[in-house]
Amino acid sequence: MTVYISGLLIVGGLFFFLIGSIGMIRLPDFYSRLHAAGIIDTMGLLLSMSGLALLILSDFNLGNILSALKIILIVVFIYLTSPTATHAIVDAGIRAGLKPWSKK
Amino acid sequence: MKILGKITILLCGGLLLFFTSDFPDFGDANSPASTHLSPYFIEHTLEDTAVPNVVTSVLADYRGYDTMFETTVILTAGLACFLLLKIPTKEVKQRYYRHEPTGVTLRIEGDRYPDKSAVFTRIDSTWVPSDMIINFTCRILISFIQIFALYVVAHGHHSPGGGFQGGVLLGASVILFAISGNLRAAIKQFGEKTAALFGAAGVFIYVGTAALCLALGENFLNYSALAPLLGTDRIMARSHGILSVEIGVAVAVMAVMIWIYYNLSSAGKQDEGL
Repeated sequence: MTVYISGLLIVGGLFFFLIGSIGMIRLPDFYSRLHAAGIIDTMGLLLSMSGLALLILSDFNLGNILSALKIILIVVFIYLTSPTATHAIVDAGIRAGLKPWSKK
Repeated sequence: MKILGKITILLCGGLLLFFTSDFPDFGDANSPASTHLSPYFIEHTLEDTAVPNVVTSVLADYRGYDTMFETTVILTAGLACFLLLKIPTKEVKQRYYRHEPTGVTLRIEGDRYPDKSAVFTRIDSTWVPSDMIINFTCRILISFIQIFALYVVAHGHHSPGGGFQGGVLLGASVILFAISGNLRAAIKQFGEKTAALFGAAGVFIYVGTAALCLALGENFLNYSALAPLLGTDRIMARSHGILSVEIGVAVAVMAVMIWIYYNLSSAGKQDEGL
């Protein structure tokens, strides 16, 4: 049962990876591409990593709990750093005078 | 003079390339390294040094000389950056200040600067207001990075890691502090003199451990000689000796990383920078 749930989570994560990578190529300007890149780091990583943690925990013992904890820690740190990095890059772009894309 | 330098470089490079052909092919199963050395290390590491991680024992014990001079090379790189880039601060005759009540930026030339107070704040020439989100995140992360760095240094016996990696992480935490705040704040916390001193101290810890073995009547870098000092048997003494050496490497790498960053990011002025 847990195998199916974790498989579903990993596939969901990969779906967001796909969206993010298509967006990084297809979106028109710097800021919207960063938005697509942010999706990879947050949604894609959260879903696929929680799927992996669940997969490990389906065989329940101390070593596997530690491994799952490490995976969760990875997600926590990515959640702290990735949006901050995106924020810093956007900030630098605005300060450097890069105008956001508009239709005209 | 420049032509002489180029000729020397071309000659050395040419010689190196010429003699590369004498080396065994990459991954050659019949080379001496594969037939003699690697099997010996893999079979004897645990009984010789009580270290489960073969890489660590090879790095810090079997070929300790090599690592010792690698550490020295790192210190030399820091010194070279310092000697090439450093400008005495007295030659910098221009500073920018922000008058807080009005938000006016003042450029002051000469050496009559206002005292540090709530009214005047020293700012860089390419001033970016400090960002609360970035500052806060970095302040949280720096402590975690440093704890992880200590873990990497101390756990190098059992898992990937060791002095070089841990030292780089420690250095990166201070560099992150400098990037998220400003360079002057970082220099105030971890000054250039401290960095130079730590860099030399790291090499000294390494060479000192090795020389202590010599003083105790055995070969240079033979950590077994430390057994009576540590109160352990000769095999565990090698394990502890490796740890001591790794700490030396970590201290040297950390200090030199920070030192090079200070000089590079401020173009040697150490006055303002990233």
